[in-house]
Amino acid sequence: MAASATDAVILGRRQLYMLPTRYGLLFALLLLIQLLAAINYGNGLAYALTFLLGSLAVVSMLYTHRNLIHLRLSAGACASVFAGEVAKFRVHLSNDSTTPRLGVAVMHGKNEIACVDIGPRGSVCIDVPVRVTQRGYLAVPSLTVVTRFPLGLLYSWSRRVELRQVCLVYPAAAEPTPLRASPVETFEPTQGLRVGGDDFIGVREFRAGDSPRHVDWKAAARGQGWHTKQFGGGYQATVWLDWDTLAGLGVEDRLSLLARWVLDAQRSDLRYGLQLPEKTLGPGSGEDHQHECLKALALFGYTP
Amino acid sequence: MIAASIDRRTLLGLLAAGAMAVAPHALELPLWILTVFAVAVSWRYLCERRGWHRPGPLVRTALLLFVVAAIYRKYGTLLGRDPGVALLITLLGLKFLELKTARDYFLCLFLFYLVILSSFLYSQSLWLGAWALLAVTVCTAGLIQLVQPAGLDTLQRLRLAGAMLAKALPLMVIVYLLFPRISGTLWGLPADAYSGLTGMPDKVQPGSIRSLSQSSEVAFRVTFETTPPPMRELYWRGLVLWETDGRSWNRGQTRASAPNSFFPLNEPVRYQVTLEASNKPWILALDLPASAPMDSRLQPDFTLESREPIRERKNYTLTSYTRYRTGGLGPVEQKRALQLPRNLSPRVRALAETWRGANADALNVARAALDYFHRENFVYTLNPPLLGNDPVDEFLFDTRRGFCEHYASAFVTLMRAAGIPSRMVIGYQGGELNPAGHYLIVRQSDAHAWAEIWLPPRGWVRVDPTAAIAPERIELGFDAARRMELQGVSFGGLPAEALSRMLELGWFEHTVRQARWYWDLTNITWYRWVVDYGKERQERFLSSLGLDDISWGRLLNLVGVGVLLVTLVYALILWRPKKSADPALALYLRFCRKLARTGIKRAPHEGALAFAERCVSQRPDLKNHIDDITRHYLHARYGREGGVRELNTLKYAVARFKI
Repeated sequence: MAASATDAVILGRRQLYMLPTRYGLLFALLLLIQLLAAINYGNGLAYALTFLLGSLAVVSMLYTHRNLIHLRLSAGACASVFAGEVAKFRVHLSNDSTTPRLGVAVMHGKNEIACVDIGPRGSVCIDVPVRVTQRGYLAVPSLTVVTRFPLGLLYSWSRRVELRQVCLVYPAAAEPTPLRASPVETFEPTQGLRVGGDDFIGVREFRAGDSPRHVDWKAAARGQGWHTKQFGGGYQATVWLDWDTLAGLGVEDRLSLLARWVLDAQRSDLRYGLQLPEKTLGPGSGEDHQHECLKALALFGYTP
Repeated sequence: MIAASIDRRTLLGLLAAGAMAVAPHALELPLWILTVFAVAVSWRYLCERRGWHRPGPLVRTALLLFVVAAIYRKYGTLLGRDPGVALLITLLGLKFLELKTARDYFLCLFLFYLVILSSFLYSQSLWLGAWALLAVTVCTAGLIQLVQPAGLDTLQRLRLAGAMLAKALPLMVIVYLLFPRISGTLWGLPADAYSGLTGMPDKVQPGSIRSLSQSSEVAFRVTFETTPPPMRELYWRGLVLWETDGRSWNRGQTRASAPNSFFPLNEPVRYQVTLEASNKPWILALDLPASAPMDSRLQPDFTLESREPIRERKNYTLTSYTRYRTGGLGPVEQKRALQLPRNLSPRVRALAETWRGANADALNVARAALDYFHRENFVYTLNPPLLGNDPVDEFLFDTRRGFCEHYASAFVTLMRAAGIPSRMVIGYQGGELNPAGHYLIVRQSDAHAWAEIWLPPRGWVRVDPTAAIAPERIELGFDAARRMELQGVSFGGLPAEALSRMLELGWFEHTVRQARWYWDLTNITWYRWVVDYGKERQERFLSSLGLDDISWGRLLNLVGVGVLLVTLVYALILWRPKKSADPALALYLRFCRKLARTGIKRAPHEGALAFAERCVSQRPDLKNHIDDITRHYLHARYGREGGVRELNTLKYAVARFKI
């Protein structure tokens, strides 16, 4: 995370640059030819047309600049992913003015990520996809906003925008491997509506990051909005997923095996706890617990 | 971002821009050149629409060679204005067949701008200027479509292009007025054909002035820099005719000799003339001009002749004196001024001799002649009967109905027969004052013929026999004379008051006339600021701004400063954050700002009701005010009716709200 990063950036005058495109240079050549013709023929209307087009280029400079100035970029949510997957950083582009912004392209380096039109006082979300290889926190890549609107003669771009937005990257889950330890298994009845069982206990509003398997697709199809089904109840076994049982393996291999076991335990609806050298989590179950466990794995070895 | 391949709608936009740009050339270029363009463009459009195969490189090259060969055959060259424009247009048409990338589209649109410019080489009329502005708008909308294929519909694109051009216009005016002009050209100009121009003839016979008077075309326009002389003194001198064969009058052999000087007897009149093209070298000037404009010469008979025929509008400034005394008469001139046709009728000669016998003074002889016209039943008419071989005799004794040329030629013949040196002058008399622009419009219909006689102490003296018959023609102008004739009123009879009442225009005619004045003013203003705005006019304009003898460098600096200033103003306008369109919201935000000062800040996601609840919980003492304002705001903003009243209540409540 860069020190200058913030939650939202409003593009100011000092953050915007402008240069002519190659079409702009071609247009300048056209103006030169027209001016020579006007001078040679002493033609008043030809002078007028030449100067009109020149002035048009000047005015288009203002329009191109206006297309970006005061545009607000803000960081949205970013669902955690496993290493090896594609993280999608959500970025909001908001237009606080009453004039629409058209043809605004968001770039990362030389790659165009999206080209959007933003209506008056409107906003648009874009996803910035990044393929991740390493566990831990991943910051949103720096972005540039670029436009050639309206005439394509000029090219305006912003300085690199660093947003304060991170994606938590879990260790890549290993191939399915049988649980190595013989943990203490106890059985106890769950009390109340413990989320994490396999009996349907109701729905709640969809939150970004919910597993698509639990989305109430039927309700969504009926146009009732996005909801997530919740499950609970039943008896659960408790397992301990222990770092020490994996002696002899490298750190990353251990982490990815543990991540696999966390996933499996959650899927089999077990109560599970995680035993790490410096940290013990659980026992528990449910998506929050799973996230806590995976987070601990993801950040293993990082100094807080 | 600009897509690599372009859709059909963008092609259609390009097509519209091309059609607009090329259209004016239909008036000037051979039709087949425009046909090539139209066919190629339609072909490409059909390829897109019907999925036809596009012609391959072989076909395209063959077409290209064919077109170039055809143009070469037509003009004998590929250089110069006409073949150049023809090449530009046909090659652009062929370019349509291979349009593919965004680059091709940009190039085409840019070249359309050049095509628009090339149409100005043929005409610089106001209409063409207006059309070009439209064409530029459509081309610019095409550029916008290229950059932004979605998100805007055609109308929005045109409006955006229009708005940008509207902002570009003031900038353009600054650069246009101040950009230094040069006189002359960078390289040679192509020769143009001049034909179909009307102007004063160099030979007059019965009917030639009258035929000119049928035309309401403008001959020239005059702006007086000093007080304009009265209508009856507005004699615009064109040509002096010396020789006659009894039927027609001509200039005879002109001799290059030093111009006769004259002594002015009154204040000089300074004026500026914009002479229309006539394809004749005559330069019209108010009787008598003191000097000659550039590229022309003052003749011994006080007429001005240009070195070249006037083939395009010409501007010049002159000084004239309406009262004068000319010098003496040389023997050669005296002989020419007394020349008579060999077959002069005895009746005419006898009439002149009776006057000569009765009066010793030449002036009295002239008076006797005018008196004769006045006393006998001579009629001034715009439709005189046709005359035979001896028009002077027939006119004086038989028909007695004539136009200015009849009276002038009869008068000069009589004077010469009486031994008084005399000559005929043709030109224009009077003119129509355009109150819209305070300048005088002189039309072909104001053409006039009058006489000059030579009286010993005074020199050449103007005598207008028409004034003796129809003073209205001279006092009120040709238009009044025409209308009097139409209404069957006899000339010289009515008292002035009855006459002015009779000549009063109806509201419709008056409106038409006013419209015509404004239209003429528009045209001449266009001419002065567009067609004729060269080095000379720019210098005059700059000196009127107090910028005499300014160098090119300083002028260009001035252009830069002007452009920068206007651009800055635009920048302020364009970047200024716009006020909320909703007045209720604006008032509510003011209320929120007041609350924020006490530390209660509304979160962006907080609705008005939720915010009010939170405020009241923090400041129960303000409950009434907060609830009131919130309720009024909700009604004014979202309520169905009574919006204005609610708004006023809200305004009052917010203004009164104090913490």
